[in-house]
Amino acid sequence: MAEKITHSICVGGPIAIHTVDGVIRRIRPIIFDNNDPKGWVIKARSKVGGAQDAEYTPNRKAQPAFIALTEKNRAYSYDRIRYPMIREDFVETPDGKNRNTENRGKSEYRRASWDEALDLVAREIKRLQATYGKETITACTGSHHSWGLVGYKLSTFARFFRMLGYTEIKDNPDSWEGFTWGAPHTYGYYWRLGGTEAFDLLEDALQNVETMIMWSHDPDTTRGGYAGNESTMWRHWLDDMGVQFIYIDPYNNFSSVKQADKWFGPRPGTDAALCEGIAHVWITEGLYDKEYIAKHGHRFDEWADYILGKGVDKTPKDPKWAEEETGIPAADIKALARRWATTKTMGGSGLRGGFGGVCRTANGTEFARLMVQLFAMQGMGKPGQNIWSGTTGAPMDYNFWFGGYSDPLSQIANQPIADKTAVNPVTQKLYRPNVPDAILDGHYEWYGEGFCGGGIDLEFTEHIYPEPGYNKVHMFWRYGGTFMGTMLDTNKWIKMYQSPELEFVVNQDIHFHGEARFADVILPACTNLERYDIGELCNSGNGGYQSHSQTGNSWQVVVFQDKAIEPLWDSQSDYWIFAQVAERLGWGKDFTEGRTELDWCKRFWEKSDLCERISWEDFTKKGYYVAPVPENWERHPGFRWFAEGYPCDTPNHKPFQEEGKLGTFTGKFEFVSESLLYFAPDDEARTPIATYKPSWEGHRSIKARKYPFHLITPHPRFDYHTQHNSSTPWIWEIPENRKYIEGNPYLVARIHPEKAAEKGIKDGDLILLFNERGSVLCVARVTYRVEVNTIHAYGSSGIYNPTVPGEASMDIGGCVNILSPGKLMGSKVPGMAPNSTLLDVVKYEGEVPKTQYFEYKLDKVALQADPDAETCVEIIEGHGFEKIQAKVKAAYVGKVSE
Amino acid sequence: MRLGIAVDSRMCMACYCCFTACKDEHCGFASKLSAAQPMMGQFWIDVREWERGDNSRKIKTATVPTLCAHCTDPACAKAAKNDAVYKREDGIVIIDPEKSKGQKAIADACPIGAVYWNEELEIPQKCTMCAELLDDPEYLSYLGDAKLKKPRCVEACPNNALLFGDLDDPNSDISKYIASQRLTQLEALAGQETNVKYLNVPTVFLAGTVYYPAEQEEVFIGAKVKVEVDGQTFETETNYFGDWEVEWLPKNKDAKITVTADGYKPVSYSAKTDADHYVDSTYLSK
Repeated sequence: MAEKITHSICVGGPIAIHTVDGVIRRIRPIIFDNNDPKGWVIKARSKVGGAQDAEYTPNRKAQPAFIALTEKNRAYSYDRIRYPMIREDFVETPDGKNRNTENRGKSEYRRASWDEALDLVAREIKRLQATYGKETITACTGSHHSWGLVGYKLSTFARFFRMLGYTEIKDNPDSWEGFTWGAPHTYGYYWRLGGTEAFDLLEDALQNVETMIMWSHDPDTTRGGYAGNESTMWRHWLDDMGVQFIYIDPYNNFSSVKQADKWFGPRPGTDAALCEGIAHVWITEGLYDKEYIAKHGHRFDEWADYILGKGVDKTPKDPKWAEEETGIPAADIKALARRWATTKTMGGSGLRGGFGGVCRTANGTEFARLMVQLFAMQGMGKPGQNIWSGTTGAPMDYNFWFGGYSDPLSQIANQPIADKTAVNPVTQKLYRPNVPDAILDGHYEWYGEGFCGGGIDLEFTEHIYPEPGYNKVHMFWRYGGTFMGTMLDTNKWIKMYQSPELEFVVNQDIHFHGEARFADVILPACTNLERYDIGELCNSGNGGYQSHSQTGNSWQVVVFQDKAIEPLWDSQSDYWIFAQVAERLGWGKDFTEGRTELDWCKRFWEKSDLCERISWEDFTKKGYYVAPVPENWERHPGFRWFAEGYPCDTPNHKPFQEEGKLGTFTGKFEFVSESLLYFAPDDEARTPIATYKPSWEGHRSIKARKYPFHLITPHPRFDYHTQHNSSTPWIWEIPENRKYIEGNPYLVARIHPEKAAEKGIKDGDLILLFNERGSVLCVARVTYRVEVNTIHAYGSSGIYNPTVPGEASMDIGGCVNILSPGKLMGSKVPGMAPNSTLLDVVKYEGEVPKTQYFEYKLDKVALQADPDAETCVEIIEGHGFEKIQAKVKAAYVGKVSE
Repeated sequence: MRLGIAVDSRMCMACYCCFTACKDEHCGFASKLSAAQPMMGQFWIDVREWERGDNSRKIKTATVPTLCAHCTDPACAKAAKNDAVYKREDGIVIIDPEKSKGQKAIADACPIGAVYWNEELEIPQKCTMCAELLDDPEYLSYLGDAKLKKPRCVEACPNNALLFGDLDDPNSDISKYIASQRLTQLEALAGQETNVKYLNVPTVFLAGTVYYPAEQEEVFIGAKVKVEVDGQTFETETNYFGDWEVEWLPKNKDAKITVTADGYKPVSYSAKTDADHYVDSTYLSK
């Protein structure tokens, strides 16, 4: 039978899926054909030594990341949840007590039918809400375990839970904390969560920039969020022109090590001191844009006095002082400051699109504010002078609108996609980093609304759990991904799950992630490839977020996410699962409004500009639509309006404000923050003048005497959140990722040769990373690429594998977030700080734990269901994958021939 | 027609798209030209990466996606019995999955370790340059342009670090690109004619930094640096960070480095080009 080709999109980018006889044969990038539009052309400087002008245009294909090409493997993965399952020692007591909750994480599971599992879930919801009120149920999702406007968490999940009524869990901006909580107090942009506007800056950079400061920034690893490898070539163009790339990061990261002209590795958490050292050089040598600062800076002189040592601490922040903190020679700091000031310089600093680690340290807000101040001092917004991380700002057609996932207009929870908007009647909330604290202590207080795009004051709203008049939470419905690898001090999640306070726990996921094993009922969802959806590459929408993130792509691509294969095993789409529960609760029709998933997909076509560009039939037949960029596209360079004093013309979603002003109280760059003086003058972490403050867990803490190494856990290169390492053994064989030893893929942790020698550690040894919070067994990579006091191991481990299941025991899955502090950045700064972690490291000479993959408990359930089922080891190392495909194919061909 | 792949080490960012696409195509799926690649343990395109430098002050990596070079005169073919390895008219080297059974010598003969031994099937296996797809007229016919059909690794490369085409046609994109770059055969294939062309694979660098006398705490911009290796002289100047660097040095030689700056005593070092070295941070004195 001929191959069928359909399309889809995932966090790694858009893909073409080839299927034969009901099984997936291959996953390819989308190659544009001769009917697709021409790419944009930017005229700019030539390469070094080239002719006067050159033209730059992208490759005629989508450029997904390698993780997108693992989608076939993820579908047939060994850790797929194949059947609905119920915890073996779960007892459905009528009062919710005595349910052996202390065994969560240890217990085995039995297979259940969908009816049995869904009936149980519906009964428990009714019992709990009748007993304690609607607020007794809470639910939370990981981000981006699937892609598409129907299936995303703000759509189907939100529709179900808002209709049900529940205690919402607010997300923290965990990828760029310091920019959300800090930068708005210096330059506004709270509507972009502290990030700046990068419109059309690619063209500006190609024409003008001379130096790129890549500070805490690894674009080839974080891939602009969900833009795959779309922007890699842009940075090569700049490199070819002779633009100088300066990388600053305690780890000589993967972008740096291939492209940097200079790498600086400051001691972790001291970056703000380096900022101050640079400022000292500029102020003493007059190397900044005085006219710009006089016009646009607010209380600059007071800050300058602080830098020069005329402030309260009487300490000049000169390069020698900065050397003491950062470990970077004073001479080098001076050279860096002068290069930055005397050439046209752009840079990224870990805000959205870059996701570096410094903004996730204890001092992250101050670093973010100082970064903005430094760029302001060099005339931010003038040609070639801007915050621009080299990952966004490609030309696009601003007049074409197809919604992104955070757009309220692009969610099936709301009108106009739905006939009726779903509204949650419960005002009580929880805050994600502290859910275990709230459940275990029965009380929690915090500031802020998580993502505070609606206004700077939202950072300071006060919350208490339980809210007056409300009951506590007794049921947790966990959906997609795992927080064991992404939240902090994650051993406390074990304690939470084992608490009798949680009478009922549901986990709904595709793969058997780290938290699924703590549930009473496990519901198997299918992958994106097994259901219908619709979505645009890298469009995150405008919902109090950042608009036009699609400019991180070379191409604007909307994809019909066709159903390539039938759901595997007993899995079903998330939409089906929620609809079934709603049906059992008596409001199934209200939930679906009579629509199938395909009907919902069509609503997004109909309610967006897409319906004016291509018919539904043509769109679903071709599978994707590329929005052309007009030859003379509108140009609105980010921040140029401000620098040059014309009315703001960038296509931002932003509150109305006086023309020519920023979103701060004064409308200027605030070197002394008036908003902080107003809202939080006593904030110890975020002072009115942004200053370097040694971390509460850093080289100046008492703890450093016992735990001298500084762990940094940046966003992973070989994964996306927690979603690929657990399901795709191929990537365990990437030497910089993991090392597969006797059935276990140990995570790579990096250590400097000098320290490794002191500890007797050789490259490839097993090493134990430990502190008072836990221990994680990793494999050593001895390398000059790390700063000497640093241990580098990527965060967001998809694999969580404690040697004693259900206990805070040594983890061999690489879940290093176990070691990170649960403490928030400051008493009024509700951000997390995984890169402020101290620990010690030792060569591991104990017994190597015999593989006891928790996932292998799936084998028992699978073999019960089918004695001929493929086991996990067989799928990883043997022919399990082929056997699964052969079975599915036989069933499919049988059905077709009937 | 001679089909080839150009591998540009400079453009490769080790993103692993080629590696994953190759696994996606061949793991668990046999074709007329090859048995299925096992799920683990074989890397028909292997992103080989090594660290360059011995000091955190100057450290880089080299990345070379390494696949069967499709040699003109393949060592594996010479080691093979009963024509188990053959070269197609388009230059692609294929190991016959049936005739090669039991012939471990074929795998052992490859100078770059690009042929893998399958213990279970007892056959040697390697890259087919996706010839089974190139041969199939149905494959990707929906795109309507035969030129869009490429080996999976090349198609998946986002950065043009892998190019595919006809080496015999001087006007093909691949031929023009190769002509514009530094052709650097892998050491283990020295002297061999191959249809996979490795470009810009680095040799070794020497680097250092020059400062004014220590108490001044200033980098020295514009110091002259002369590196003499094997009768050749390389000259450079320190940049805005006081850094100097000389790339593409001949390997395994003795080098003499001289740093001179007006008004200061010249400083000289000796070094070896056995590997990449950061020579020193030089503090000048009067």
